Amino acid sequence: MRFEEMKQALIKAAEAEGLEQYEIYSCMEENISAETLKDEISSFASSTSGGICFRCIVNGKMGYASGELMTEDAMEELVKNAVSNAACIDSDDEVFIFAGSPAYTKLPEREIKLTDAATIRDTALALQRQTYAASDKVSDGTQSAAVSVTEEIHLYNSNGLELSNRVGVSVAYAMPVVRDGDEAQEHFEFGVGSDMETLKDLPAKAVQGALDKMGAGLVDSGKYDVIFDGRQFRQFLSAFSPVFSAKNAQLGLSLLAGKEGEAVAAPCVTLVDDPMREGSPMQTPFDGEGVATKRRNIIENGELKTLLYDLTTAKKAGVESTGNGQKGSYSAPVAIAPYNFAIAAGEDTSEDLLSQVGNGLYITECKGFHAGANAVTGDFSIESAGFVIRDGKRAEPVKSFTVAGNFFELLKQIDRLGNEIKWAVPGSFTVFGSPDVLVRGVSVAGK
Amino acid sequence: MISKALAESVLLCAMSGGADFAELYGEITKNNSVSMVDGKVDRVGDNLVSGVGIRAFLGTRTVFASTSDTSREGLLKCAAAVAAAMGEIKKDVNVVLRERFLPNIHPALIVPSSVDAKTRADILRTACFAAKEYDNAISQVSGTLAGVDHSILVANTEGLYVTDRHIRTRIAVSSVASAAGVNQSGSDSPGAGMGLELFDKIDPREVGREASRQAMVNLRADYCPAGKMTVAIENGFGGVIFHEACGHSLEATSVAIGASQMAGKLGQMIANPKVTAIDDGTIPGAWGSVNIDDEGTPTQRNVLIENGVLKNYMIDRLGSRRMGMPMTGSGRRQGYTYEATSRMTNTFIANGPDKNEDIIASIENGLYCRKMGGGSVNPLTGAFNFAVTEGYLVKNGKICEPVRGASLIGTGSDIIRDIDMVGQNLARAQGMCGSASGSVPTDVGQPLIRVSTITVGGR
Repeated sequence: MRFEEMKQALIKAAEAEGLEQYEIYSCMEENISAETLKDEISSFASSTSGGICFRCIVNGKMGYASGELMTEDAMEELVKNAVSNAACIDSDDEVFIFAGSPAYTKLPEREIKLTDAATIRDTALALQRQTYAASDKVSDGTQSAAVSVTEEIHLYNSNGLELSNRVGVSVAYAMPVVRDGDEAQEHFEFGVGSDMETLKDLPAKAVQGALDKMGAGLVDSGKYDVIFDGRQFRQFLSAFSPVFSAKNAQLGLSLLAGKEGEAVAAPCVTLVDDPMREGSPMQTPFDGEGVATKRRNIIENGELKTLLYDLTTAKKAGVESTGNGQKGSYSAPVAIAPYNFAIAAGEDTSEDLLSQVGNGLYITECKGFHAGANAVTGDFSIESAGFVIRDGKRAEPVKSFTVAGNFFELLKQIDRLGNEIKWAVPGSFTVFGSPDVLVRGVSVAGK
Repeated sequence: MISKALAESVLLCAMSGGADFAELYGEITKNNSVSMVDGKVDRVGDNLVSGVGIRAFLGTRTVFASTSDTSREGLLKCAAAVAAAMGEIKKDVNVVLRERFLPNIHPALIVPSSVDAKTRADILRTACFAAKEYDNAISQVSGTLAGVDHSILVANTEGLYVTDRHIRTRIAVSSVASAAGVNQSGSDSPGAGMGLELFDKIDPREVGREASRQAMVNLRADYCPAGKMTVAIENGFGGVIFHEACGHSLEATSVAIGASQMAGKLGQMIANPKVTAIDDGTIPGAWGSVNIDDEGTPTQRNVLIENGVLKNYMIDRLGSRRMGMPMTGSGRRQGYTYEATSRMTNTFIANGPDKNEDIIASIENGLYCRKMGGGSVNPLTGAFNFAVTEGYLVKNGKICEPVRGASLIGTGSDIIRDIDMVGQNLARAQGMCGSASGSVPTDVGQPLIRVSTITVGGR
């Protein structure tokens, strides 16, 4: 049953229930992937999944129901469940089925399709061969993989709003394990695409990354000037992105509540949310409620310009929705989230940053944000690894230390920014990015 | 769900690419949830997950395909995709399925999806209101009551055709305490492999009060100091230390391909002799229990470490082929879009020889971790981290003032040697464990333990 058939079945069921305000949202995903072990494809997978969400307003309350079973009976069930779920809501928040934005950004015409299975397999195998060839220390456990994903979204509502979007991306991974005596280390690099020409540097880079970690020592506890590699700092943006949600602010769950117009970061910090970022394979012209999306500065030269709003929180605050009411999956409720969310690049090269620090730490690995970072308090304590910076140069590797602090203080402590944004794997509509970030006086716990 | 005859056809089709084994997994999952914030129900959700995953092996090569199209055509198309991807020469195969019926040792008396949302909302309201009333400084409370009704079918070319239905229920409350522009948080989230009769065993008000109690403790806590310390970790969710520091490294997923620091160490003394650790998927009604794993193998009680000696790994079907060792009922997956791999169920450190009061009294200068958050690990290097959500300094054998914002880090192989005292108040707590085959419910657990030295990530 395709979207159009399901839509008609749902409209019929909604009309039978006497519903006037409702929305149908569907998301279907296709993906294929190949993984390697040693010199062969160890696993090949393909999947088609997704479902449909029906939501409706009954007596001013929004009820949701969703599912993956695509039959006419199942659609009737969705409508019935959504109606009965609406009756249990006692939130007084005003809810909306959206009438439509005046205009939506038109995406350039392009064919988006899944990369064929043979290419995916060949890419994974080629990466694996080149990864093994990059060093004689590369050993068992080394994996390479290639993945291709497409996603198709349809939104239709009782105001006649009808929107759709199709996105897709291929990503390749090299994950070498290197061994020397008793020590083993690994590293992870990814590249967008499945063309070996554009991915040719990936294996050597990944292997070098793993080799660089060998023989890491420990650091003394204390305060250090540090450079967070952009790949690590973007994880802070990800972990603390809930603080930019107007919903959390309105509920007292974000310490940025009421701070619009105030300085919340160092003057060098501009934080941008760009749903249509050039080069991003996951561009989206509308959000989960059908509101047009737009590039915005969230923080501009240190000043908080706006929080992220959906229709309900915008109405409460007396502002317009910023088009950030996303659906994380077909079944998820509308929740506020950014798109391509990054600190704008500064001007410093890596060498500039290293020499600015002089003596300190270059942090290239941060882990455990889901537990070690608390968006309500802003506190974090994060397992880290990286390199000593000595006399303005990257020196020996170090591991097994934590960096601890508070995100709101960290934003104000940013001193300098690198000149290149390092983006995360583009796998969903929310992708974080950051340049390298120099912060002074960070608490480190080591030996 | 899917008839035996159809399953046979699908498996035959999946085998037509020359595989030596094929498996069909079907899933129908009803997820029901009620959420509250600010004293009001703001969301009631119903979601029905339905699909199949088909997998074929040739030696240790695997091909997997999944689809939400569960019609006969959809299944055969999915199976044909598996066969095509295997791409070997066809062998003659014959598939005859025999239905297996296993007793349900995790009964559910009140299936959550069969109870109207209003009744479920009332349980949650009781918890959230108790949290709010705990103290005037509690500024916000949010909560969710979720029920999962998960039915699976596993059929494979060894002739297995088995179904199972597993019900689980969980309530989660988060409280925020505020004073002078500072927010602090606390949470509690008990669950079980049972229905709403869970609330005959636990009082929802106690869940709310526990969340608020932690938030209030943290409101008067100063930052935790940094450095190496002796640490006592309390029972229940404290067991996350074993889950991260050691458990993941004992999964065939990493052991079988040599990507675990525990590979090749069976029979060796890897932990302090006071440490015995068990993964037990058979505990009746426990959060991480299932009758059969997602490959159709009955779960079992696996002693992983006995008196410090490594006794066994957790092994799924593919891991069993790679390692040449028997399966341990550890093949788990979130749902049909994931391939099963080796995962934990209810994993805990058993009671030990030490009295709890002796453990605290033995610490001159250290940290007592009463509540832990989640963590993560790299199984290759054993480097792990986990968060302390309620901690106190210990001075001269006495528990003193609370401290906040700390995490603990270390290397698994070191830490299990450094667990040098094991107490006697074993308790388990519930979590969701995320790994290659998705998010699955697992219990962690332990009695109070002492770690002689560990890096405390304070400031």
